Amino acid sequence: MLLELADVHVHYGKIAAIRGLSLEVGEGEIVTLIGANGAGKTTTLKTVSGLRPLSRGRIVFDGRDISRMPGHKRVLAGIGQSPEGRGVFPGMTVADNLAMGAYARRGDTSKELAEVYELFPRLAERKDQLGGTMSGGEQQMLAIGRALMARPKVLLLDEPSMGLAPMLVQQIFSIIVEINRRGTTVLLVEQNAAQALQVAHRAYVLETGRIVKSAPAADLLDDPQVRAAYLGGAADAPITADPE
Amino acid sequence: MSGARADKGGSVSWLTRARAALRGVREWWDSASGPVRWSVYLLLIVGAVLLPADAVGNVMSPDSNWADLLFFPIGGYILLAIGLNVVVGQAGLLDLGYVAFFAIGGYTMAILGEKVGWSFWEILPVGIVVAALSGVILGAPTLRLRGDYLAIVTLGFGEIIRITARNTPAIGGPNGISGIPHPPTLTDWSIPDVEPFTSLGLGGLAPFEYGVLDARPYYYLMLAAIIVAIVFVVRLNRSRVGRAWAAIREDEDAAELMGVPTFKFKLAAFAIGAAIGGSAGVLYGAQVTSLNPAHFEFMVSALILAAVVLGGAGNLPGVILGAFIVAWLPERFRELKDYRMLFFGLALVLMMALRPEGLLPSRRRKAELEEGTGGMGGLGAGVAGPDGDPHEVKAEVAG
Ligand SMILES: Nc1ncnc2c1ncn2[C@@H]1O[C@H](COP(=O)(O)OP(=O)(O)OP(=O)(O)O)[C@@H](O)[C@H]1O
Ligand SMILES: [Mg+2]
Repeated sequence: MLLELADVHVHYGKIAAIRGLSLEVGEGEIVTLIGANGAGKTTTLKTVSGLRPLSRGRIVFDGRDISRMPGHKRVLAGIGQSPEGRGVFPGMTVADNLAMGAYARRGDTSKELAEVYELFPRLAERKDQLGGTMSGGEQQMLAIGRALMARPKVLLLDEPSMGLAPMLVQQIFSIIVEINRRGTTVLLVEQNAAQALQVAHRAYVLETGRIVKSAPAADLLDDPQVRAAYLGGAADAPITADPE
Repeated sequence: MSGARADKGGSVSWLTRARAALRGVREWWDSASGPVRWSVYLLLIVGAVLLPADAVGNVMSPDSNWADLLFFPIGGYILLAIGLNVVVGQAGLLDLGYVAFFAIGGYTMAILGEKVGWSFWEILPVGIVVAALSGVILGAPTLRLRGDYLAIVTLGFGEIIRITARNTPAIGGPNGISGIPHPPTLTDWSIPDVEPFTSLGLGGLAPFEYGVLDARPYYYLMLAAIIVAIVFVVRLNRSRVGRAWAAIREDEDAAELMGVPTFKFKLAAFAIGAAIGGSAGVLYGAQVTSLNPAHFEFMVSALILAAVVLGGAGNLPGVILGAFIVAWLPERFRELKDYRMLFFGLALVLMMALRPEGLLPSRRRKAELEEGTGGMGGLGAGVAGPDGDPHEVKAEVAG
């Protein structure tokens, strides 16, 4: 396993956002994590990338326990993230944003840059535009491209389809598949469960900080409960997250 | 009503023209070649050297000694603003207690100079290091806080330093320390009183003799410190450190995700800002001969911050201009006596209303302000809130 979370607990103050979560991501996979609002998807990704400390459990990446490793060192270890809300640097140009993506690396990055521009031709057209003035979809491309600049072994994507038009959603998902085909493992968090389950190999369903289901993605597409709750199926029987 | 509107229209068109002119200058500067830029720098330095001349002083400050003002508050505020700009403008951290480092520099000069008997040149590096260390000591526990919390803690720190000084009899309590030695004279060589020096107001000046009467040598010392600080800060800003600060200012979490050790770099910004503030304090102490806690009120922190924000945080020429205005305006209009702070406040409000991004903002800064991040000390970015509120609402509606 490339990435392994074992019995992870994460707290915001006294509030437990993640309560004993375990999941695994194998090399070369696309794994998706779906769940309702507030289930803890973003928190899970932030914990993996080191933006949130865990209060219990451990994270093993590439055979190493990284539970206590500071976030900025995890980039070099091979974890890249496109954060929720994209986190593009608004005052930097597209080119500077991409250069920031390679900040932790030494040496020549022109190969990665060329690859990002090839995956996202729109970014190449807008090299000198300020990140903050890019459209939502373009910013999403920029955030993913920026994460790729560090040559991550695993790419964490937090709702890459958020706020995008259906056409663009399709495009982003096909690019995710392409990135994976070229050898990057992907852990994908999505509201858009239907799309995510179509591109992923395996899936986890998260509810109030716990994994309640884990299965091959295709199976979940047919699962009646999942259909009802996340795929807009029978609206009469939703699984709602229990309040605290 | 209509009169007011017409007025506003007039000032707006005037503003538009000024803006266009500024843009022109900026474009010319961006495309200027190396030698052109160096000539401009040289001209600026020559201008600064000639600045204390009486001809200039008669216009700029008819009521008080112009050279005195140039040393402090004008020069002092500029140096302080350059230092605070590292913290606020470059790293995006809001520091409301910056005066503390100025005080630490000043008291280092006073204590080591008056009580221990060291000379200014020995104390200067010590003062800088002590201030930088206190920046680290303040920053280490507090830089994990964000935005508004950091502002409050730094505000408290500024007050603590001042109140501690007032309540410590060993350093003079509220009376402070007097009899602080001037810097030893480097050479009593003086500029010959012949043309063209006489007309330029430099005839007979001994620029490296630090006495009681002539403030100009102190001003030149301050000028040298300002130039060194500018070179240092500009070089830093163009390096990996500067890029890291920009990333932290714009999105701290994203910066960490890029592999920027955000905490370390925030601490570095604090230490460097503090070091520059400390150097200003040492210089100040070496000229005034006596200082006391009342020199280090919160007002100084507020004015320096006003200078940085007013001028255009993050953009060095803007920050220097802002500091000049904040230091000079109240002195120039001394005849208004008690009202001058009122007019000064009005002038500040007016400027911020007409040009909220500062007088000479950096282009990047504008984009950040529009985005609502990296504003003043990340006040906007504030506490990392629960993510994605807007779409949470949307999803509920959809469900
Ligand atoms: N900074 C924070 N402070 C306090 N509580 C937080 C914070 N961030 C998240 N939480 C809480 O933690 C829980 C999990 O939040 P998280 O952002 O991980 O959910 P999510 O699954 O990503 O939701 P969404 O689909 O809406 O993005 C929620 O109950 C949320 O309110
Ligand atoms: Mg989320």
